[in-house]
Amino acid sequence: MDQVLQSMQKNWPVLLLLVALAIGAAAPLAFGLSAPGFYVEVLLGGLMSGVMYSLVALGFVLIFKASGVFNFAQGAMVLFAALAVARIAEVVPLPVAFVATIFIMAVLAWVIERLVLRHLVNQDAVVLLMATLGVTYFLDGFGQTIWGSDIYKIETGLPKTPVMILESVFEGGILVNTEDLVAAAIAALLVLALALFFQKTPTGRALRAVADDHQAAQSIGIPLNRIWVIVWTVAGFVALVAGVIWGSKLGVQFSLSLIALKALPVVILGGFTSVPGAILGGLIIGVGEKFAEVFLGPIAVKQFDLAGGGIENWFAYVLALLFLLVRPEGLFGEKHIDRV
Amino acid sequence: MTRGSLGDVILKIDDVWLSFGGVKAIQGVSFDVREHEIRAIIGPNGAGKSSMLNVINGVYHPQQGRITFRGKVRSSMDPHDAAAQGFGRTFQSLALFKGMSVLDNIMTGRNLRMRTGILSQAVHLGFARREELRHREFVEHIIDFLEIQAYRKTPVGRLPYGLQKRVDLARALAMEPKILLLDEPMAGMNLEEKQDMSRFVLDVNEEFGTTIVLIEHDMGVVMDISDRVVVLDYGRKIGDGTPDEVRSNEQVIAAYLGVAH
Repeated sequence: MDQVLQSMQKNWPVLLLLVALAIGAAAPLAFGLSAPGFYVEVLLGGLMSGVMYSLVALGFVLIFKASGVFNFAQGAMVLFAALAVARIAEVVPLPVAFVATIFIMAVLAWVIERLVLRHLVNQDAVVLLMATLGVTYFLDGFGQTIWGSDIYKIETGLPKTPVMILESVFEGGILVNTEDLVAAAIAALLVLALALFFQKTPTGRALRAVADDHQAAQSIGIPLNRIWVIVWTVAGFVALVAGVIWGSKLGVQFSLSLIALKALPVVILGGFTSVPGAILGGLIIGVGEKFAEVFLGPIAVKQFDLAGGGIENWFAYVLALLFLLVRPEGLFGEKHIDRV
Repeated sequence: MTRGSLGDVILKIDDVWLSFGGVKAIQGVSFDVREHEIRAIIGPNGAGKSSMLNVINGVYHPQQGRITFRGKVRSSMDPHDAAAQGFGRTFQSLALFKGMSVLDNIMTGRNLRMRTGILSQAVHLGFARREELRHREFVEHIIDFLEIQAYRKTPVGRLPYGLQKRVDLARALAMEPKILLLDEPMAGMNLEEKQDMSRFVLDVNEEFGTTIVLIEHDMGVVMDISDRVVVLDYGRKIGDGTPDEVRSNEQVIAAYLGVAH
């Protein structure tokens, strides 16, 4: 009990922030701003985009954990993978295109390790960040060079028509997309599979070992280079899943690569080294920005006579900034204490 | 094998030179290591002990000199190659995987001996699982041996220092190394922990027949457990022989106690 109190005393700014978030989330219902059915609809919509943010953030976290590299190219990888699937699927069935793209992402991982990472090991974080920025722009452009720059479709064959559910519980029922539900389920499965892979297999153990201490991992015979290729391949696979899901929803186009910018506040909120953090962070930001847009927007219009739009665009960043102020390592991140 | 009778030379260091920029860390040092022996490298601070260990381990590449391992001249290698050839090591400033459990830490030591591929592991195929169990058995043996059964599932970061050192040793042992390199195994320990560690080092040497090269700052402990001792000072070898020979070597005494000028 004492311990709980003590940690509460130490962490009160974080707690305050979390409580504020919780109140903000409950307020629309409590003050009767929205019908319960509509509230749940917005919540679901937020959770679904949150899951997608989580997927991209997961790619960040995987690579950061294993190599200390902040991979700015994660968003470009999403676009690249989605483009590859979309164009290959024009000539072969979608599952074949999907598998082919897994191979493409693996080759890409190998090339990045061989040509870039291997030579920059132990350089400053800034150097590595610049290198991944280079990779980002290369991938953005190179993807267009190979696959073209139009908007392409990925046909998953799932029904896009919205359906009404829970009509008996809420007045008017809840409108959801079957495709969205399937996408969320797939994303959840992927996260679960990754967690098991990391915890239960020897390769996962080796990955965690490298993430923990490079030098020690090498001395017991874990080959860093191979581990990096594996991690980048897994991150490529995560990017592929994210790309297919978003691509089938919005069409494969350049704006997909910008999703990386949305995942940035997610990792700040969840912590750069935490897989659960990436997931929870994605959900909080997904739901938070939807709520802010839908419920705060009208208030801004009615009470203050503002235009009221665009809250969805900045909400995530303001939240991330607040977290940087009160808890720079994120909700689940490791606290770094450097020797000076 | 009784203590005192030594095996064949397994590792030979010939005229090794190593410098960082203008700093000469090792200057023409030669010595050999025999099978099954406990070989200590001692010396005051900055004598080049750690550099020597890192040369053997493949972290540093000497500018000059030859290293012969099991009759073959070794080419330049990195720590991963060294591990694959049978060099296990522990670290002075612990380099354990702090977030992982004791068991997982030690299991990583079996990594080089795992044969199943990443895909069969991912789907948890039967032989991948059987392999995991086989390695687990070996690791349990080491855990018993080093008396850390009670801490199997504890994250290493939460263990006291002395126990962490033991986990470090266990992880290196899990590799079944041909040569075990110990980097100041007693550093920072209290007397009781030092005695425990000495006992474990001797037991490992006897039970597994492992050849051990250890570097140590503290002369006292080392003299009791080593078969032969190399003494370094300012990057040069100033003594080599049994503990008794080294103890009566005047240069060694001067290096440790200082001489009147």
